[in-house]
Amino acid sequence: MNSTYFYKSALAIAILGLAACKPTIDVPAPTKGTADFTRYIALGNSLTAGFADGGLSLEGQQNSFPGMIAEQMKSVGGGSFSTPFFPTDKANGTGYLKLTALTNGVPTIVPETSNLAIRGQVNGVTLYTKYTGEINNFGVPNIKLIHARLPKYADFNGLYERLLPGEFLTNPTTYLEFATSKPWTFFSNWLGNNDILAYATAGGAGAPPTDKGVFATEYNAVIDKLTSTGAKGVVGTIPGVTSTAFFNTVTLKTLLAAINATPAGANVKDIYIQPGVGAPRAATAGDLFTLTLSSAGVMGIPNNLGIPYGLDPRNPVATQYVLDKAEVLTVNDYINSYNNTIKSIANAKGLAIMDGYTLLNEYAAGKPVNGIPVSGAFIQGNLFSLDGIHLTPLGYAITANAFISAINAKYGSNIPVVDITRYRGVKLP
Amino acid sequence: MLVISKRAKLLRTKQLINHLPKLRSMKKILLSFLLAIPVLGFSQSFQVNLQGQKQTAMGGAGAGLALDEAAVFFNPGAVSFLKNNGVQAGVNGIWLKTAFNQTGSSITEHNKSKVPTPAAAYAVFGSPENRLRFGIGVYTPFGGAMHWNEDWSGKFTVTSLDLQAIYIQPTLSLKITDQIGIGAGLVYALGKVDLQRAVPYSNNTGQQATVQLKGNSKDFGWNAGIFIKTISGVSVGITHRSQVLATVKNGDAIFANVPSSVQPLLPASFNATLPLPATSTVGFGFYPSEKTTIALDVNWVWWHTYKDLAFYYNNGTSTVSPRNYHDAATFRVGIQNQASSFLTLRAGAGYALSPVGTGYVTPEVPDANRILLSAGIGLKPSERFGIDFSFLYENVKSRTETNIESGLSGTFKTVAYIPGVALSYKF
Repeated sequence: MNSTYFYKSALAIAILGLAACKPTIDVPAPTKGTADFTRYIALGNSLTAGFADGGLSLEGQQNSFPGMIAEQMKSVGGGSFSTPFFPTDKANGTGYLKLTALTNGVPTIVPETSNLAIRGQVNGVTLYTKYTGEINNFGVPNIKLIHARLPKYADFNGLYERLLPGEFLTNPTTYLEFATSKPWTFFSNWLGNNDILAYATAGGAGAPPTDKGVFATEYNAVIDKLTSTGAKGVVGTIPGVTSTAFFNTVTLKTLLAAINATPAGANVKDIYIQPGVGAPRAATAGDLFTLTLSSAGVMGIPNNLGIPYGLDPRNPVATQYVLDKAEVLTVNDYINSYNNTIKSIANAKGLAIMDGYTLLNEYAAGKPVNGIPVSGAFIQGNLFSLDGIHLTPLGYAITANAFISAINAKYGSNIPVVDITRYRGVKLP
Repeated sequence: MLVISKRAKLLRTKQLINHLPKLRSMKKILLSFLLAIPVLGFSQSFQVNLQGQKQTAMGGAGAGLALDEAAVFFNPGAVSFLKNNGVQAGVNGIWLKTAFNQTGSSITEHNKSKVPTPAAAYAVFGSPENRLRFGIGVYTPFGGAMHWNEDWSGKFTVTSLDLQAIYIQPTLSLKITDQIGIGAGLVYALGKVDLQRAVPYSNNTGQQATVQLKGNSKDFGWNAGIFIKTISGVSVGITHRSQVLATVKNGDAIFANVPSSVQPLLPASFNATLPLPATSTVGFGFYPSEKTTIALDVNWVWWHTYKDLAFYYNNGTSTVSPRNYHDAATFRVGIQNQASSFLTLRAGAGYALSPVGTGYVTPEVPDANRILLSAGIGLKPSERFGIDFSFLYENVKSRTETNIESGLSGTFKTVAYIPGVALSYKF
């Protein structure tokens, strides 16, 4: 034994150890399981389209959850995925809300009005720049489940009309026919939110919710069509409406506190509302105010008789700004019924179910993800965009991963999850 | 569906009213999760056990031996039993390799190569014939360097951590009888922490907001031990190194690329206290032949004091991250054989139990139970001069967890390769 030998040995060990061995983790290989992702189509409303901050823009479309899923599907045989993007010179699409200042935590929110993709307005329908390419993401803002088989629906929805060939009022193709006009191997269907959301966001004053029986009939028809060629798919349940920032930012407590802080309103104890049914009454903690009450600028302003708005039963907060206790019960009852319908039909057809109701309630209640605090709080919660209902890119990424988990669990596939840290919350000025 | 209000001015004034009560909570929410906490290590969590090359080569055992000047650290009671006075200085390089696979992801991410080099130096004085001996040690019992890519999937928990606690320990050792020695040292601990992470604020520029927390600490502790040569020939050491509460006062909180609207809500400095836990050790020395020594140590690290990591900021806010560590033991065994007057061979092994409970594993400290394997050689070119090499391999068990505070979910796997060298001179 001589020293050279040991020097050499020590050196050899050191070099081997340092150069070579990064630790490895056994990661299950991506696999498609029993599903076929060759052509994935996504049916749904604004949540599927990538609607955010009160509008649909190119950035929102680029951060749609179906786009994220499709990107991940590529490692398990997924094909190309086309979204009907707005052109880059009209990237702001419908326009959207921007946060331009946050002074001591107080937001200033203004609409973006440049570079819109609006091509005109006819019969009260705003028309948008036509899209003519391939489509896989068929998300159409505002669409209800009951519109899916409605002929001439394009005559009422400019964001659907822009996808169809032909001039306005000349193409009666139903949404479901259009989305299924080319063969597909996999689908996601997240229709149904607007069947209740439109009623809720209008404080129960707008169109009534879709009848429960009609909802079941239509849902069956849509799923029958989507599964008619043997394609597998995933459906989403309807998220809770009353857990959104839209209904939890302006509250009885914040309204009273703000009014009490003014000299004239120091002694105000009640806010008066016009419920959907019955006489005006004092609001309770169970009555939810809409975020739009905040932007309407009506609180406390006297009417012709000098009675301040919302502070007296003779000039109550109008019903469209309030989802009163009874209406909250109605909303929750419909959502519950719709979701039972969705789940039972999906189970009967052996489809994967993404439980959007549970998912978004869970995150709205507050849950960290990869070190990011996520909650339903307006602006700082990272989940809801500036409209208080639709999601931020981060929120859509969380949703995409929930869809992926549901698909993987049902079909034995292993689609890798999205790295949600690459997606933003609300943009702060 | 939502109608976009065009009445922006009204929106502003009314939201001023409606959001007022939210402000206070907003400040808090903006900060919570902003600053969780550090650290990584090379035996247990962020404890470093590389205080002597000979001992490191022997699995880190040595409390029951009067081996060399590093006894100042391993057992001050054994210092008075050293045959010679001497001085030594050594350094290790830590190649720490951690892999992370986020639950459900097909991507494995690796930490960046960044090699901390903890050093240790000791000197022992006084006449070997006298019962009282003096020693001084400078060593690094806690530390770590963990660097991830700036855009890795756990960037909002940590992107880099550099932590270092250097202990300076003047020591007295008294040989009470020819069989029993006691010793104690005062520890002056100099701490340094530099933690960086991404902050989840989205801005219009697309640049990632980050925060860097930097601070220094100066604190005191102690190290004491008793060394016994039993009649059977087995030597026994019992030591205790006290806890040091590393207290950072007015550390810098440096934010970058933060949206200007958030800037006024952010702090500029912080106070924090990180417990560097006490360690109790029982060690045994066996001498099967004149040229062979076997060391056996059991360390008990009093990690339970690390309950949470609290930061108190200069803007009146604070964040408290639960840690809830529990005490944990490490078992070490080592052997050395003097092959010739020139060459000594050493080898050792150990097993360290993790103090980190389920749900508390963080990317700064992806800790788990670990196996230690070591080897080394000592060369003596002359009677007085010595050079010792050690190589330590640590294999940290793979651990799949979801952190209760950050929600980060995935599998960590860590190995470490730690070569070291020390020079010594006897006088």
